[in-house]
Amino acid sequence: MEGLAAISAHNGWAMAATGATIVIIGLAILASIISQLHKIIGFFEKRGKAGSEKAESRPAPPPSVEPLTADPLSDLAATARYYRSLTSHFGDVFALAQLYQALEAADVPHPHITVRELKASGFLAPTGEGQFSWQNV
Amino acid sequence: MDLFLDFLQNTGWYMLDYRYVLMICIGILFCYLAIAKDYEPLLLLPIGFGVIIGNLPFFKGFGLGIYENNSVLHYLYFGVTTGLYPSIVFLGLGAMTDFSSLLARPKLMMMGAAAQMGIYFTLLSALALGFAPREAGSIAIIGGADGPTSIFLTAKLAPHLIGPIAIAAYSYMALIPLIQPPIMRLLTTKAERRIHMPEEGRQVSRKEQLFFPIVGVLLCCLLAPASIPLLGPFFFGNLMKVSGVVDRLAKTAASSIIDTATIFLGITVGASTQADVFLSTKSVGIFFLGSVAFSLATASGLIAGKIMNLFLKEKINPLLGAAGVSAVPGSAREVHLVGQKSDPTNYLLMDAMACNASGVIGSAICAGILWSFLL
Repeated sequence: MEGLAAISAHNGWAMAATGATIVIIGLAILASIISQLHKIIGFFEKRGKAGSEKAESRPAPPPSVEPLTADPLSDLAATARYYRSLTSHFGDVFALAQLYQALEAADVPHPHITVRELKASGFLAPTGEGQFSWQNV
Repeated sequence: MDLFLDFLQNTGWYMLDYRYVLMICIGILFCYLAIAKDYEPLLLLPIGFGVIIGNLPFFKGFGLGIYENNSVLHYLYFGVTTGLYPSIVFLGLGAMTDFSSLLARPKLMMMGAAAQMGIYFTLLSALALGFAPREAGSIAIIGGADGPTSIFLTAKLAPHLIGPIAIAAYSYMALIPLIQPPIMRLLTTKAERRIHMPEEGRQVSRKEQLFFPIVGVLLCCLLAPASIPLLGPFFFGNLMKVSGVVDRLAKTAASSIIDTATIFLGITVGASTQADVFLSTKSVGIFFLGSVAFSLATASGLIAGKIMNLFLKEKINPLLGAAGVSAVPGSAREVHLVGQKSDPTNYLLMDAMACNASGVIGSAICAGILWSFLL
């Protein structure tokens, strides 16, 4: 048997149509999943980061030094000791963002100006890669 | 003197006839194409030499021939008839494939899907020419332009045709520089060939590259379980590569293991093409349909690219459709070269490799589908 009759007799039309449909739909679905994969991964990564940020922004433990009552810029050494007490739970090395979070939680006024002065005076020194540590405090 | 005459009658020279001579010449031709012309040497050289040794006449019954039990070649041929070698080759292919281009531009996967239409058109053509359904399925998979896949499916559906189908598949893969460019020029305009693909694709993260083989194997093998022997090792090889924790295994899969399998696959497939099986009208039909399969696959991919451009705001170069066949990296290279002839500043290679990679997946899925239809 040959020709179109042979194709019909052996179910050729159905096999070709079904097979072509399956492979196109299968690869289309795979392409769709791939196109969204980076968004799905990004979503789970953001959730993970939000969780760890919440853990990091827990309220700082009470400072081991009395809060400053005078102008922080008038005695930078005392200010540095106070600020250090607020960051003691971050360890010896910490990011500036963590310092600002701790200062905000402790309701410290004018933190940016004070931090700038502490950096200029050497009490707050960079250790590289965006990290800082206290010096001579 | 009688002893000497008996000896002469037992030599291969005495048993040689024109069919064996013709096949040995074909084997020498393949070796020449591989060495002198650099036409797919990794495949054509083992196959060519296998054709030579498979057509050296010998006494039947002494456990010498590839079809005789207890012969060395028969034991090595076991890897072909069971589909073992193609699975191992796919393991190595996965360990060598970089999917980042495809992950950055997932719509190119549709080029790989479209190019597989050549398989189904050839299935219809083979049935129309009078081939049995299982034979037609084995011939049709040549259109996937994937040697291991062709051998794998033929071993399952029509093992008596492994020789001619493998020779046809690998021959046409080697002749891609001659087959594809005219079809590409015929079906695309110069303006279309000059379309530039976006230069910077999205940066693909390591996590995406890690998830892709898992997602791919689950989706493809749940859709077509018969493709597990091919796509399972393929995606596993890729996972080994991108995980970064089994570099030693990935490198071994991509080098020693795939090379060993390629050697034994090629030489035993070549040796299986014995003159009395290969020189027949069926083989002529297979070669003719193989060329039809390749051409239709290329044309399907090109036309799919043109159709996609009707709906896309950012046009894609339709030449990429020709790279949707599974012939890695030959068809990607040809697409890039044809694109450069129209516009020397047009760099299509990475996008073409993405289409090639999707073609590998698509042809393996098609093999699984055909196997499940024709079981």
